[in-house]
Amino acid sequence: MTKKITTLNTLAIGVAAGLTLSYGSTVSAGEIEWSGFVENATYFRDKKGLSKFRNTAQAEFSKSIESDSWSNVSINGVLRGSYDGVYDLNSSEFGKDAQQQYLGESWHDNSTVSSSALLTPGTPFPCENDPTICNNLDGYMDQDENDAKFAEFNDRLDFIREFYITADKQLANGDVFNFSFGKQQVVWGKTDLFRVLDVINPVDYSRHNIYDELEDIRIPQWMFTAEWRMGSNEVLDDSNFQLIWNVDKFRPHNMGTCGQSYVMVDAGCFFSAKLAGTIPVIHDVQEPGWDLSNTQFGAKWEGVYGDTTFSVNALHYRQQLPSIHWRGPNPATPAGDGLFDIKFPRVTLLGGSLDYYSMNMDAVWRMEVAYTQGEEQPRDLNGNAETDMLRYVIGFDKNLVIPSLGTSSAFLISTQLFGEHILDHEADMPMDEDNWIATALFKGWYKNNRLSPQVIFAHDFAAKATAIAPSISWTPDNHWMFNAGLNVKFGGDEKFPWSASANVPGNAGVPQYEPLARFLNGPIGVANQEDEIQFTVRYSF
Amino acid sequence: MKKTVVSMMMAGALVAPVHAATLDDVENSFYPYKNGAKEFSNLKPGMTINQSNVESVKDALDPAMYKFIKNGDYEIRVGETTSFDLHESYVEATRKNLNTTSLGEKSGEINGFVAGRPFPEEPSLDDPRAGEKMAFNFKYGYNWGDTGAVYPFYWKFRDMASGKEERMLKFNFHFLNYKHRVKQAPMPDIEPNPSNLFRGIYVQVLEPFDVKNTQLLIHRYEDDLKRDNAYLYLGFQRRVRRLSSGQTTDAFLGSDLMIEDFEGYNGRISDMKWTYKGTREMLMPYYNHNDEPLDPDTHKDEDGYQVVSFTGKGQCFPNVSWQVRKVYEVESAPVDPNHPLSKRVHFMDAQTFAIPRTNAYDRKGELWKIFTIGQSHPDHHLAANKGSGVSIDDAFSMVDLQANHCTTGQFKGQLDPKLSPEQKFSVQNLRSSGR
Repeated sequence: MTKKITTLNTLAIGVAAGLTLSYGSTVSAGEIEWSGFVENATYFRDKKGLSKFRNTAQAEFSKSIESDSWSNVSINGVLRGSYDGVYDLNSSEFGKDAQQQYLGESWHDNSTVSSSALLTPGTPFPCENDPTICNNLDGYMDQDENDAKFAEFNDRLDFIREFYITADKQLANGDVFNFSFGKQQVVWGKTDLFRVLDVINPVDYSRHNIYDELEDIRIPQWMFTAEWRMGSNEVLDDSNFQLIWNVDKFRPHNMGTCGQSYVMVDAGCFFSAKLAGTIPVIHDVQEPGWDLSNTQFGAKWEGVYGDTTFSVNALHYRQQLPSIHWRGPNPATPAGDGLFDIKFPRVTLLGGSLDYYSMNMDAVWRMEVAYTQGEEQPRDLNGNAETDMLRYVIGFDKNLVIPSLGTSSAFLISTQLFGEHILDHEADMPMDEDNWIATALFKGWYKNNRLSPQVIFAHDFAAKATAIAPSISWTPDNHWMFNAGLNVKFGGDEKFPWSASANVPGNAGVPQYEPLARFLNGPIGVANQEDEIQFTVRYSF
Repeated sequence: MKKTVVSMMMAGALVAPVHAATLDDVENSFYPYKNGAKEFSNLKPGMTINQSNVESVKDALDPAMYKFIKNGDYEIRVGETTSFDLHESYVEATRKNLNTTSLGEKSGEINGFVAGRPFPEEPSLDDPRAGEKMAFNFKYGYNWGDTGAVYPFYWKFRDMASGKEERMLKFNFHFLNYKHRVKQAPMPDIEPNPSNLFRGIYVQVLEPFDVKNTQLLIHRYEDDLKRDNAYLYLGFQRRVRRLSSGQTTDAFLGSDLMIEDFEGYNGRISDMKWTYKGTREMLMPYYNHNDEPLDPDTHKDEDGYQVVSFTGKGQCFPNVSWQVRKVYEVESAPVDPNHPLSKRVHFMDAQTFAIPRTNAYDRKGELWKIFTIGQSHPDHHLAANKGSGVSIDDAFSMVDLQANHCTTGQFKGQLDPKLSPEQKFSVQNLRSSGR
């Protein structure tokens, strides 16, 4: 993890201290609204046992400030701390001592040569076990076990999940100018589970892969936002223009460190492996430091036109997934001190969204599209290739009262089809030129909405992988919530040849799991041995 | 061409008012108690109606309320009939636009309406569309004036058998009329209004934590045949979702109320067949808020305002006094054969056109849900509401007879337009008011 405390985080400590002092000394308790919860999430994984024993305390506050010239001025914050006991209670499976027999043991068998003869197993928590890999991964996937146990308590002060000030300025013509600054989440787009436009904040996938609510796993960033809320005009019922300036030091997605219970596409273990037992897979992580030229910015215009709402979006940011760059003098010759460097290239995104209420169908159609330039996709030769990307989603939502299912509350039926098109696709890319992921949510409510069953379904067509997650929650009163669920996956058995395996006699062109098929099998397929039964209990206040 | 002219003439004949309304009709519509209320020999202010005497006043009660009292579930305190004068600007708009409004050819169509009460004349059992006219009088009523807010609004879910409070939701509700405004500038319409919206309803959930920051925005079109546009902001998703708004029979946030039940009826007029059943003098929950026994625990604020208390079986009934009111009995039967109800029987207050009592029947014709909305006089409520000329929705009770369950509502109704500016009814406001 980052070892330097940034200026912005120093500022956060100062403002937080100031607010606390103010709260304690001069402001009455009624002026700050507090709410929050404590929660235990206990998950058990098939054949592994306990996979999560996370205990969380979260507090949210909001304080209004009176101002003569501004309105709706408030300071808002979310504080969160957690301890995941799985590393103490099931240390043989997760944690610094959770050695694997071969690379990819968590998601495939040992039948291909690349995961047995060529690559070593990933080193769990390399900073506890291998100083070289730890040093090479400095700044990224270099957590030690305590960092995983206490996920929010780190040098980036993640226990301050959000802390921002917002204010409105009423303009003479009735328009409103809004300004906000602080550590915050800014959400674009209209999709669930997978993101097309909602890319401003990176995501912590180490918490529970793709399955937690994005609100809980977006990594808040220090940002300025400015909005010009124009309201209605002769054509539009509503119109709004937003500028965003992400001034935080760049952070990539947290995909999980090898040894954690959720390691997205097993990347953390690949990055902490070695070729032929000696050459680290990763030589260096070239994470951009804080610099004005490294900040990220974007704009959105959105509005309502009759039955249609729309947005037009533009963002200049950095790729949040790591891109690996081959360091050898030629594609056949690896560098002796590490195969790849990790980089996070600059990306420009142009996109838009639209949703439309169809009165005849009594349903809502959602569409979202994003075209990017500058992204790098994994490939066999050189590790990556820059390519333009097109991502899109079409969604269909319907609320439907189904009396035969014994409730007068409407069920939510929500389906989505995500598409991804690699414009400059190469034959040695493990990802298909076109791929689709379909998702469906069916959620109902009983007993005055206190009992809510739901089932989530997701299918990755290229990976031939499926996830099904039925769950039921019970809210007996205003404070307690109990949730029980299953998360079951199928598939993820696709292979892709790696040219280096040709060095092993008889394996030229033979499909392999390692290392490239992890990208093809994706987050659903690579989690194919993570079938879980999950219990959550929460007390909110 | 000739055929078209003939059919237009026929249509015109069909939809023309049965008789032209007069200024006397307006006077009688808005001031029915200027010569006092109808007197019942066995029903006097100050008395309490309970199991022992309910038979003697059966005619002044609707069947459901009669049954509750007879079972000992509720007792009614009788108050003096008082005039709930609506604001003079609304009455004057009615006078000014008298006889300019007519029903269209299809149910739900209305022509020429500008502002005020569209059909102030006394309904007639001979008029086959009298019920629909009553429905329009309700829709274009002075319900919350041009803008209003229930700020805050407490909903409690209760087991009627045990009285156990299962859950309490705390909301803010805001209402804004885009059109037919009579008191607050701009009048009569807010411009620009490119989609020709009639009304906006904005709901913000404040508590409990699991639904905190949920917000709902409903845009109702002037064209009754067009469905609402509805937007939902979920705090845990931090984004605005469009809702399919046709599911108006959805139990709102798990309460015993359908979205369609709000304010007595909250759907398209064209979704129902409306039948005027007659005019009656009945006991209705009309009272002075400040004179009632209030609930000191649920809400406290610097105004010293307290909400109405609840009493009776399961604490499911508003602890308010009732008075004899002139009432129009109107039935609404769903056009959709798959609607869970076979009909609602509304008891519309003739003076205010609020709907303080509604009984809903299931598909089998059995009584299912009993809805009561207590109405407070504005001059005996918050000081700021004095003189507003709005009959203030002040408490509600929805009893699900078949589930033996109820949802109760306790209001702090505020008629301060600053609480409900137009910006609050925008999609962008959902995002900016969320986190």
